[in-house]
Amino acid sequence: MKKIVKTTVIGSYPVHINNMELMRKYFNQTEISWEKYIKKAVEDMVNAGIDLISDGQTRDPFVKIFFRKLKGCRIRDRAEVIDKVEHVEPITVEDQKYVKTLLPKDRELIGLITGPYTLTKTCVDLFYNDEKQLAFDFADALRKEAKMLQKHVHMIGIDEPFFSISMPEYAHELIEKIIKGLSCPIRLHVCGDVSSIIPMLLEIPVNVLSHEFKASPHLFKIFKEYSFNQQICLGSVRSDKLQVESVKEIINHIEKGIETFDGRISQIAPDCGLRLLPRDVAFQKLKNLVKAKESIMVW
Amino acid sequence: MFSFTKEQKTLEISGVKIGGQPGMYPTVLFGGLFFKGEPDFENAKKHIQNMLSLSKKTGNPGIPDFFIRREEHLESIIDFIEENLPAGYPFSIDIIEPSLKIIALETLHKRKLLHRTIYNSIHIGVTDEEREALQRYTPEMAILVAFNPKDKSSDGKIEVLSNGANLLDKGLIDISKEVGVKKTLVDTAALAPGENSGASIAAIPVVKEEYGLPTGCAVHNVVEKSTWLNEFKTARKTVDVSSNINIPLYGGDFAIYGPIENTDLVFPVIAWEDILVSEYTENYFGVSPVDHHPRRKFF
Repeated sequence: MKKIVKTTVIGSYPVHINNMELMRKYFNQTEISWEKYIKKAVEDMVNAGIDLISDGQTRDPFVKIFFRKLKGCRIRDRAEVIDKVEHVEPITVEDQKYVKTLLPKDRELIGLITGPYTLTKTCVDLFYNDEKQLAFDFADALRKEAKMLQKHVHMIGIDEPFFSISMPEYAHELIEKIIKGLSCPIRLHVCGDVSSIIPMLLEIPVNVLSHEFKASPHLFKIFKEYSFNQQICLGSVRSDKLQVESVKEIINHIEKGIETFDGRISQIAPDCGLRLLPRDVAFQKLKNLVKAKESIMVW
Repeated sequence: MFSFTKEQKTLEISGVKIGGQPGMYPTVLFGGLFFKGEPDFENAKKHIQNMLSLSKKTGNPGIPDFFIRREEHLESIIDFIEENLPAGYPFSIDIIEPSLKIIALETLHKRKLLHRTIYNSIHIGVTDEEREALQRYTPEMAILVAFNPKDKSSDGKIEVLSNGANLLDKGLIDISKEVGVKKTLVDTAALAPGENSGASIAAIPVVKEEYGLPTGCAVHNVVEKSTWLNEFKTARKTVDVSSNINIPLYGGDFAIYGPIENTDLVFPVIAWEDILVSEYTENYFGVSPVDHHPRRKFF
């Protein structure tokens, strides 16, 4: 366990955005930079001792980051698709380059992509009237982003929370479209209760499967029924509860994971993005996660 | 020159009407005073008289927009307003710092001037304390600045007005309703050249078609920030003044035209444009101009 398990995050991290400061820059017509917010998120993750760090997705909720820059999409009161979806510029790459300048040498970077099915399900389609075609066009655009991203990150995480609500029969094909030919390892994160879709998830050729094992501990039992090749990212603290799990509680949880998955656990993370928690709570959860992992490593 | 399918609201403050379909009401012109911070009351008196005189001549209502940058100037500026504007005449207060805005609201309440006040402005920098103050001391009218640091296009402006672009708990329109401001104008937030400066103009018809609210902007700010125009020093003022033509041409209702010193040039230029717009919209759409419209004055 000592050599392969990394503490990591799923994606988002809560950072207070100083709106008045943004307005002062507007009034003075000076350039606005988001780097200070990215830096705050990354510094918290570094200071908490997290091994595999994200940019914190501070700019926007995880779906909006992509809608904002994909051609064919627009965000008004809601995200809408109004034309053919195309990747016309890097979406997350510049932020990852910046994060790399902040990371100590012993830390790694995970680049995050919101999955095509989740994008499809969270927008209003005013153009395609064909959910599958829209999903595949999103996948095609995201493949271009992933190709650019892989040069700058150690791993790519694809977040597909909507698979747990309604996994389409083409899910495998959709994810494969993004990752085919990529050289860096891929993690697929599907939060929510995935108990009914585990066989389908296990068919997807990613390196790591990531789920909410803390909020859905019954998943341990169900996963035991299957044999598979993927590594596991073990959700170990709640991302929807203010209560900070104690180190002991996290250790107990990880032990359950070890019982189920044995050497397949390669990452320990919160159940999901931490965006909705207060910053001090999120930080403490990450710190305890790291302490729990370190305790287990001592064993 | 066009007409909107969405019903257009006409708002009134102390007899000044603003909004409606293009060609119906003359463009309302906001001239700024005390940009430099230190009020020069003698000079201001002359300029306000001149504004009132040109307003009478052209038919375009003129609103003095008072910049208040320091608390020690607040009382004297309000004294000046009471003593030098015609009885009941509307004015706007233009303050950046939320703490000073709160003090100004309370002072205007004590001086019984809120019914003449256009609050410039509510934007993403609005604080909880400012919201409370607005609820307690509600101005007759407020300007919503649709600046969205995440998206400077027309879509981004709609986003911040409708849902706050994840920078606020709700959109600026709902915030203004929540605090009890019944009359709101939308400023489409002009940005420096190179920062999608044209979007403030393009957004005017988009905002009006979406909400039917009176809409305009301070497009002169674009000119003010242009370094390119340094090559054409003698043309700068002409470009500055004429840039305001875009507002009525794109269906807008008000122009915040910068220093009140530009009144002599701005009023006839905008009156002329209003006449052109009105001639077309009456002939094609049957929109009749009101009695004090420039077209009624000059033809």
